[in-house]
Amino acid sequence: MIMRGSLAIWMRDMQVLRRAIFSELVAVVAYPLTIYLAFGIGMQSYIGAVEGSPYSLFIAPGLITMTAVNAAYNESVWSLWFHRRVQFTVESYRVTPISVSEIIIAKICTGFTHGIIKGCAVGLVIFAITPFRFPLEHLFNYLVFLIPGSALFSCAGVISGTVMDKPETIGKVEAVLVMPLIFMSGLFFPLSSYPPDVLPWVRAIPTTALFEGARRALVSGDMSTLHVLQVSVSAVVLFAVAVGIFRRKMAE
Amino acid sequence: MPVPAILTRSLTKQYANLTALNSFDLEVSRGSIFGLLGPNGAGKTTLIRILTTLMRQSSGEVFIDGLDIRTEGRRIRSMIGVVSQENSLDRYLTARENLVLHARLHGMDRKTYNRRIDELLELMGLSARQKDFPDTFSGGMQRRLVVARALLHQPQLLFLDEPTTGLDPQSRRAVWDYIRSLAGSMTIFLTTHYLEEAEQLCDRIAIMDHGRLVALGSTRELKDRLSGATVYEIELERDVDQYATLLRSMQCVSNIEVLSSRIQVTLECWECLSEIVTALNGAPVRSISLKERTLEDVFISLTGAEVRE
Repeated sequence: MIMRGSLAIWMRDMQVLRRAIFSELVAVVAYPLTIYLAFGIGMQSYIGAVEGSPYSLFIAPGLITMTAVNAAYNESVWSLWFHRRVQFTVESYRVTPISVSEIIIAKICTGFTHGIIKGCAVGLVIFAITPFRFPLEHLFNYLVFLIPGSALFSCAGVISGTVMDKPETIGKVEAVLVMPLIFMSGLFFPLSSYPPDVLPWVRAIPTTALFEGARRALVSGDMSTLHVLQVSVSAVVLFAVAVGIFRRKMAE
Repeated sequence: MPVPAILTRSLTKQYANLTALNSFDLEVSRGSIFGLLGPNGAGKTTLIRILTTLMRQSSGEVFIDGLDIRTEGRRIRSMIGVVSQENSLDRYLTARENLVLHARLHGMDRKTYNRRIDELLELMGLSARQKDFPDTFSGGMQRRLVVARALLHQPQLLFLDEPTTGLDPQSRRAVWDYIRSLAGSMTIFLTTHYLEEAEQLCDRIAIMDHGRLVALGSTRELKDRLSGATVYEIELERDVDQYATLLRSMQCVSNIEVLSSRIQVTLECWECLSEIVTALNGAPVRSISLKERTLEDVFISLTGAEVRE
């Protein structure tokens, strides 16, 4: 497959991101930082330590991961919807000698890049203004989770942006599916809080593997191969599904 | 025999219970300006989407420059330019950046596309605005930018889907002039709701309705095919009703319409005119004129006068 088309579209998206990088980052950093200050600092004295860590440190990796995957999802879903339904630019791409797969790969890469950039920005801010610290060598392990995790959410965004024609439906899916998946994956509480009967089901969800694995990787340097595989395989499967759905939609 | 620019054979597109294209046969010769007319829902958009590889046919064959659309989509897209109904410009990129993106999608190298973009911006009168975003452009300027984008890779076949819809008369004429200037250098396939546009620009015109081709030919041929009937308009000083009754009784008159002091007479053939003149001997005739049939008359006669959804 020639990836010229993907590269051209991805470069276009990066050009647009560069133009608005400051306002994008301010908006992206504000939300997790508010949560960190409200819960991590404000509630810390009431909650105390979770799994041996102060609460503010417990939620920090999750907030960085949440920012990254949220950014990946939002960029993919809105970008694809906007280019398909409002600007009709997808149509203009499709009459050039590139394939439908190249368009979808570009959009997934764009979402993924947004996720990584915005996740790193939040990480830096939390690192700069809070006592949250981690050994630098843990960063590599953390990225092993963050990269397929962002790709996973980017693919999910592409599917939503392809299937849904109304913007309000996109918002509903985010409220009903995406945010609960993130919040219930142990971002604010340890998984041990779940009843034992429910826990295996919760652990089977890729977002749980992502948030749990990423936290352990960043805080203690643990690398759970099972979690990495769970996230990576889900990302690959969702990628194939995203390409298939987009192709079918475009053929209508 | 030269390979036609577009050839369709028994082209059919079915959407559930709706047949958008029904065994549609069409041949467009290279270098011509071909117009496609039809009321809303006739199947024009479906046809153009299939021809530009955006949609698959249900059955039948389509060849663009001899290449089968089902197997040679990428090659076909490299040699066509498309001006769609929607402007589809990227409002987050400047005019020049829009063109650069399109050039990259066509795999053009930087040196070639920069030169070509300079040429086209100059030609379209957009050089001074190349660093501005399309949102700040007038409708006519946006349309010119879309045309420039479609011509960037020097296509052999240009599809113009209602290229002047929503433009003021000046901008419309500017687009027409440009289309005329392209004549011969590439094949142009045009759909339009403006019959004057088709009449002004196209060498050959197809009229389609309900997914079928209902007429094909030059403007002159289509007008001639409307029927052998000829319409004359006779203006009288007085006694209009009396002469209308007289004319209505004549065998060679197929229809009479009275419009104030004028009688519109439809004759079986133009040779009947002498009988009419004889019958009107002594009548207070002010003028007799041949009423020229328009493409709109042809269009309405073939597709009906009722409004389509």
